Amino acid sequence: MNLESFQNRVLPVKNKLFRFALRFLGNEDEAKDIVQEVFVRVWNGREKMNEIQNWEAWCMRITKNLSLDRIRSITRRHTNPIEDGYAVTNDSMTPFESTEMRESMKRINQLIAALPDKQRQVIHLRDVEGYSYNEICDIMELDMNQVKVNLFRARNSVRDKMIKINAYGL
Amino acid sequence: MPMDSKRLQQLLARYWSGDTTLEEEAELREHFQAGDFPDELKETAALFRYFNEGKKKSLSDISFEPAVIEKIHKPNKQGRLVALLYNASKIAAGLLVVIVATWFIRNEIRKSTPQEIVDTYDDPKLAFEETKKALMMISKSFGTAQAQAKKINMFNEAQEEIQRKSKDSL
Repeated sequence: MNLESFQNRVLPVKNKLFRFALRFLGNEDEAKDIVQEVFVRVWNGREKMNEIQNWEAWCMRITKNLSLDRIRSITRRHTNPIEDGYAVTNDSMTPFESTEMRESMKRINQLIAALPDKQRQVIHLRDVEGYSYNEICDIMELDMNQVKVNLFRARNSVRDKMIKINAYGL
Repeated sequence: MPMDSKRLQQLLARYWSGDTTLEEEAELREHFQAGDFPDELKETAALFRYFNEGKKKSLSDISFEPAVIEKIHKPNKQGRLVALLYNASKIAAGLLVVIVATWFIRNEIRKSTPQEIVDTYDDPKLAFEETKKALMMISKSFGTAQAQAKKINMFNEAQEEIQRKSKDSL
């Protein structure tokens, strides 16, 4: 692989890698640092890329491993939510509805951030990034059953907590 | 195309049990993004919107890619230098071990060898006597060897005699 195909094929996945690293680390600067490190590794191992069937999943796997190493090295767990919420702009919503939606999303962000690590990563890979189960197996180095169980638990945990919040108005 | 409420309920039920396909999940995200949902699904809508918004999160730093390109070029030089230093240090460590080992062995040999064998005699007269004694010993050995060699000579003489006689008889 030459520099040109590296720039055209590999670098564009930076946002996916960044979002994934952000799920682990919860800090944009650290996530950016990880993505940079991933690209350096991919470049150094570029001869291997022809043998790898799904190089995007391979990049994601390196991101996961480097993020986990980083978490271990800084000896702190993911505690900070990624961000306060998203700016929701939708013409069909009134300002009140927009605020309400933003609040809901902020809560969901916190619920997902509080999930166990594997569940949080699997739900991110499936529901945000839209990866297939096989790709998630590849990235997470888990078998199909573990992926499905983690996804099921993650979705239901978020759902149960949303129901509780609604029921008690917490 | 808007989804009817029956299909929405069915898809959601399948989603919570982890049975939806990627296409169906995309359909759900699209549906909730459009803002057409009943009030009781407000939180669910927020969840799907959260996923949608999550995918928009990007590494916005424009200096990121140039920094990566610079980094993947730099480590080569740095890597070579590091490798050179690393190899040199390996050789230096090997040499150090040999030198230290030689020094220790030499010390041990010096300790175990009696000093008088190593030392020369300080007194020139005594040294002369000792040299004479040693040369005499060698000379005596030579003398003995010569006497032994004479015996071997007898065999030669006998052999010549036999050869001569056998010639005469012919």
